[in-house]
Parts: sequence; C-alpha cells; structure tokens
Amino acid sequence: MKTVYVCCGTNCLAAGAKKVLSELRQECAGMEAEVLPRIKETGCSGFCEYGPIVTIADEGENDITYYRVKESDAAEIAQKTIAKGELIPRLCFHKDRNQPVASKMENPFYSSQKKIALRNVGLIDPADLQDYLARGGYEGLKRALELGSEGVLEEMRLSGLRGRGGAGFPTAAKWETGAKQKEFPKYIVCNGDEGDPGAFMDGSIMEGDPHSVIEGMLIAAIAVGSEQGFLYIRDEYVHARRSIGKALEEAKKAGFLGRNILNSGFSFDAEIVRGGGAFVCGEGSALLESIEGKVGEPRHKPPRTSEVGLWRKPTVTNNVETLANVPFILAKGGKAFAQIGTEGSKGTKVFAMVGKVKRTGLVEVPMGITLHDLIFEIGGGIKNGRQFKAVQTGGPSGGCIPQSMLDLQVDFDNLTKFGAMMGSGGMIVMDDTSCMVEVARYYVDFLCEESCGKCTPCREGLRQMRHILTEICEGRGQDGDLETLERIARTMKDTALCALGRTAANPVLSTIRYFREEYNAHIHDKFCPAGVCSKLSVFKIDPETCVGCGLCSTLCPAKAVIGEAKHPYRIDPQRCTTCGSCRNKCPKKAIITERRGENGSKD
Amino acid sequence: MVARIDHKECIFEPGECIVTVAARNGIEIPTLCHYEGLCGLGVCRVCVVEMDRKIVPACITKLEKPCEILTDSERVREERGMMLALLRKRAPNSEVIADLAERYHAPDLPRLTVAEDADRCILCGLCVQACKALGSSAIATVMRGTKKKIGTPYDDISNACIGCGSCAQVCPTGSISVKDENGVRKIWHKEFRLVFCKRCGALLGTEKMLKKNRITDALCSDCRGYDTAEQIHQVLSK
Repeated sequence: MKTVYVCCGTNCLAAGAKKVLSELRQECAGMEAEVLPRIKETGCSGFCEYGPIVTIADEGENDITYYRVKESDAAEIAQKTIAKGELIPRLCFHKDRNQPVASKMENPFYSSQKKIALRNVGLIDPADLQDYLARGGYEGLKRALELGSEGVLEEMRLSGLRGRGGAGFPTAAKWETGAKQKEFPKYIVCNGDEGDPGAFMDGSIMEGDPHSVIEGMLIAAIAVGSEQGFLYIRDEYVHARRSIGKALEEAKKAGFLGRNILNSGFSFDAEIVRGGGAFVCGEGSALLESIEGKVGEPRHKPPRTSEVGLWRKPTVTNNVETLANVPFILAKGGKAFAQIGTEGSKGTKVFAMVGKVKRTGLVEVPMGITLHDLIFEIGGGIKNGRQFKAVQTGGPSGGCIPQSMLDLQVDFDNLTKFGAMMGSGGMIVMDDTSCMVEVARYYVDFLCEESCGKCTPCREGLRQMRHILTEICEGRGQDGDLETLERIARTMKDTALCALGRTAANPVLSTIRYFREEYNAHIHDKFCPAGVCSKLSVFKIDPETCVGCGLCSTLCPAKAVIGEAKHPYRIDPQRCTTCGSCRNKCPKKAIITERRGENGSKD
Repeated sequence: MVARIDHKECIFEPGECIVTVAARNGIEIPTLCHYEGLCGLGVCRVCVVEMDRKIVPACITKLEKPCEILTDSERVREERGMMLALLRKRAPNSEVIADLAERYHAPDLPRLTVAEDADRCILCGLCVQACKALGSSAIATVMRGTKKKIGTPYDDISNACIGCGSCAQVCPTGSISVKDENGVRKIWHKEFRLVFCKRCGALLGTEKMLKKNRITDALCSDCRGYDTAEQIHQVLSK
C-alpha cells in the first residue's frame, strides 16, 4: 500500500497545498483496493521554495517526490504515479536540465541533511497520535519514567545538548538547577515565541510534530519535578497553536498527559498561552512576565528564572527545538546524540535558510558543517548567478559573516567568536545587491521598535545608532561616525539589562568589522556600491551590454526606463528609486550602479 | 561577610544591595531610579559598578559572597559617562541630569540627537512603582522601544488617580507636573479639590485621597493629637 504525503506546512498552504490535497483525495477515491493509497496531510517538509510538495512512498524505502504541484496535476499523479508507479519528469526536481531526480533522498537539498529535531516533520500527520507512536513516539517518555529524575539528568549530561533558542546554555545544567530547587510548584515553559526575521523552524516543529514538543516537556518535568507546563506560542502562529492544541487533547485522551501518567504515579499537564506579538517576549524572563499577565519586560538576573521564575517559583524554560531533541536523546541515548556535531556543540541544528539563495527552506544539519556546504551544497548557491556577499545568522542579535569566512564551521562558539551568533537559526543569505550599511540600519530599526525600552543603554543607544546609520545611508555621514557607533555599541554590550540589549549592537559591529570599506564609501565618497541607498546611487544601463530586450522597461514601477526595443535603454535618474526590479531580472546584467551626482540628485 | 569596595573592606549581610553597603561606608554611587522602600528597578544604569570585572547595576545587585567592587574605575567612568550622555539627550531640560553629566564627565558626542518630545523624563518608571505601591496603579509605561512613555491609560483622565502626587514626589528629575492653585490640584490631566485642616489650615491632601484613606474629620495629625489630648485631660480632671 502506497502512502502519499502532501506537505501542508504554512508555506505550502500559501502555495495551494490544500487544493492539491483535496483534488488528490478525490482522484484516489474511486481507485481499486490494491492501489488505493493512504493520503497524509503532513507538516513542513522543508523545501519551501519548491512547494507544494507531494511524496509518494511505497512500503519499502522507495519514494517519488514532486515539487510545485498544482491542483491540475493531481489527476495525472493519481493515474500514473499512484496507480502505475510511473514517473512524471515534469514535476521532479532536476539536478541538471535533463536529469530528473525521483527520490527525495537523491535531491541535494535533502541528501546531506541529518534530521533529529525534524525527524517526524513531514512524515506524519500531526493530527494523528497513531502516526507519532508508529515512529517511536513517547518511547522517550517511557524510558524517562523508568530512569527517574537523576537518570534523565545523566542522559542529558551525556548528550551535551545546548539550548537551541539562541544563547546555547547547556540544557542539563538548566534542568539540574531546576531540580535542586526546594520550592513548589515548579513550572516547565516551552518558548514558542519565535520572532527573528526569517526564522520559522519552531513554528514548523509545532505544526508538523507537536507531540515531540509535548514529550520533551514531559521528560523535562520528570527531571525537574514539575507538574504544570505552559506553551507560550506567538500570536501569529495560528496553525502551530491549533496543532499543539489538538495534540494536547489527544495526549490527554491517551493517558500521556494528566494525572498518573501511564500508571507511574507521575502527573503533568500543560496548556497554551498566546503571545501578544512582542519580539522581546522571546527573552526568557520577559516571556514569564507576559504569562503572568504583565507588560513583557525582562527581569534583572540573577536570580535565574530556573530559581525564581513564573509567579516567583522555579521555572525551566526551553525552546521548541531543544524540547523536540529531548525524546530522541532519551529513546536513543545521550551518547548517540553526542556522536553528532562538534566538541562544544553536539547534535544537529535546524536553519531557516532564506534570502538570495537558490533553494530556500528549512534544513537540519550536523553542527560543524561549513557555511560553504550549507549555502552552496544544500542551498545550491546564489540566485540569478550573482556573487555571494554575506550571510546574516542569528537574527537581530546576530551578525554578518563575509565570503572570506565561508569555511567557518557552524557551531555556537565559532559564530560567537566571529561576531555573529547562532541565535534561533535564521540564516539570511545576501548577494552583491545587498548594502551592508542598510542591513545594519534595518536591524537597528527593527530593534528600536521591538526593544522593551526599559533600560537606558538599549532604548537610547539604539535610537542614537538608528539616527547615525540613517544619516550615513542618506549621504550625511561624517568622520568619526564609526567611532561613535562603536562607542555606543560597547556601552550597550556592557550595561544593558537583558540579552536583547547586550547583543543588539551585533549587526552594527559585525558589519563595521567585515565591511568597513562599504561604510567608508558611504561616508566619504557618498556612494552606495550595492546601489541600495537611493540617495547615494543611481542605476545606469551599460549601452555595450544592453541588447534592448525591454524587460527592464516593462518591470520598472517608476517608469524610469526609457528607450525603444532592440536599442540600448536608458534610465532617468530623476525618476529612478533604485528599487532594483530591473537589475534583478536583466538577462545580460547590463544594469550597473553609479554614484548619484549633483545633477541626478532628487532633492 | 566582607566585600572590598574601592579597596575598602566593607561588612555586609548576604542579600544586601551594593548601593546600600557602599553608602554605609561613605562611598557614594550616583543613582536615579533607586528609591528606598520601592522595589529595585535597575533601569537607568547610572549606578553601574565593576564587580569582579563585570559591569553590574549597584542598586539591585545583591551581595552574596566576598567580592571586589570598583565604583570609579576607568571602565565604570566610561560607561557611566556614556549613560549620562545618552540620558542628557533623553531629558535635555533636566538640571539633575545636566549636573550629573557634568560631574561624571559625560562625553560630548556631537552626533547624538535629542529625542522627540523630550523634556525631563528619563523613563525610569519610579513613578509607576510608587503609584502601584500605594494601591492606585493609575499610571503605567505605555508602548515599547524608543516610543515608550509614561502615562494614564490612553492619555485620558484616570479614575484610579487620587491626586496624591507620590509619582511627582519620587521622580528623580522633577518631570511630573503638580500644580496646587486656588484650592485645586492639577495632575495627570485631572483636577482635584484640596482639603485643608479645619483647625490649623494645613494641607491634608485631595478629597479623593481622604476618601480612599477613610479620613472623615478633616483634621491634620497634629490637631487630631491635640484634640485627643484635650479629651483625655477633660476626662481626668472630672
């Protein structure tokens, strides 16, 4: 009996996966018993750019996976692939032009991934507990109940798991502190307030494999001695909330949650708390304030929240991805987990690779993979044949890593050492059309809105940095601006109240460190080499290269491209807003950046 | 236990804050958002000191074990100066901030700009704490990030405000305006009738304050004491 997996992650849903699913169901309804497939609605299978994704697997190891499937393809898939096992090359992933790849595992996007946190995502129906159990679900819980608190802690110590939310704090140490506390009740909190721009791994896990998060919380509860948990999920994650909500109900019905779990005498219950949409609530102590119903502002530490947390009781807060790793560790053993990864960072990490890379999506790779392998092997390199420029990791607390450091092995310590950060695993790839000053300004602007505004260095420092960066981007940069930025950054790093403030200057510091030339071009030459800052640069069409196809003229929203077909076109600098629509699509790469002169000035 | 603060041995009880222990030993640490009796906020960060080479706020960092603290090292001077340089642009009309900035040599960075709608408030939130501690919770911090401010809900007249003026009392920069004129107090967009002692004429507070505290006789504590003594005297002399 074949199984058809239809990816219904948020991205595939947006691309029309539900229609494909219902069409496939309809097409298969009338099939004969021996070819009648099981059709599963799964969570995100990762390769979001190529969604909706449909995988047809037989009982063995073989599968055929189709990408960018449309409603109208359903009949053909049912008749050919499901009924007869024939391949439809048109819907396959193509390594080269004429080389369709049938199996998912031959697709370079998937072949070098190693899935632990995402082990079930995309392979089970998140609404069906039986699917989770069939793939070894709740085996970790059973083992944890046998081992008891100390046994679980020992297993966690062996695994070397570090928190996946950003800071990389050893999970075993956090749990141990929680276990030592004599105060009761104790709480387990799952941090599902994923807010980094471009990151969506926690959402995908909650949507696609909710039980693994719940099982992780249960195991944490056994280790710490807690009976109540909260899942703090950001307001925008509607699907994740629905999926977790359903899973909590199912788990309760099956006796994995509630009183006297599996007749062990251990009781634990969990409920969902909706976040209000503040980025800062992803910070552990601000999150707890928010659950208490107060304004989401971080608390002074020490004491740590594992000592004095929710309602002043010991509270262990773990990120979604961290918790999703826990059942694997308990079921397969901490040693098995520790075999993967590097000296200081064990296991795997899920990255949300987005930006100017060919294949965007969710990837889970062993710690220690090089940036080069990640971006060029799995991600397929840079889009539109352009040049790689930098990769931004770790969201607003992270930094930009330049081309010269592509051989850097990705783990917690390495990224921090070079001015970036693992963060939650957002990875934004940028090409030569990205301006690094503008990138820094974007993140500082984001944080100006999202800082809680409680302490002086973060609130005032960010405001001043935003002002200076805007001045630089608009051509009013001055000598000494970089020094002032570095000076403010140092104070923020030293004195801010929480981790958000202490790391908020990272995007600025890392871009100054690796792209000082670009800053200098903005400040001294009043030129933006990437052609992003529109007050400093204009686009020009190189008449030698232009073939007069006219695509730029059609695309230009400002109607700034003038000329006639088959002759070189021209850009009117007065009208051009340097939006980049023409440059992104020009087949001959004839559009170049020039300094916006006095005449071209829009003011 | 003993901590060395600026090379001076200072005895402390575990759990005491650095600022308290330093003050007892004659070592001054500047503070703005610290107020005896209200729970520590640790947000203005002017009180930063170096504790075992880490920068910490002295007003809420508790001493738990012997340690080395420097309140005037080069690093502390630099960070404190920068903090005051930043606050000077947040509260350009505050004399308190201007004085502190001068005293602690805040650097004059020409690129720093004054915040929009800046006046004297440094957003430390002491007023909010005081209002909450006294049971009214009429004001709160509103918005977040660079748009943060202090206000009543929707900047409207608050029913919870009793016009006690505690917020203005604790404000380190004198940013909250309280006007007592012609028997009326104006604070937070609201007017309150003032009540005076019917015997000596001393200001008792606003009508709402008295009502909340269930004071009905409109006497100041001195005059009430005098009355009570008079009554006792009459009973005894009979």
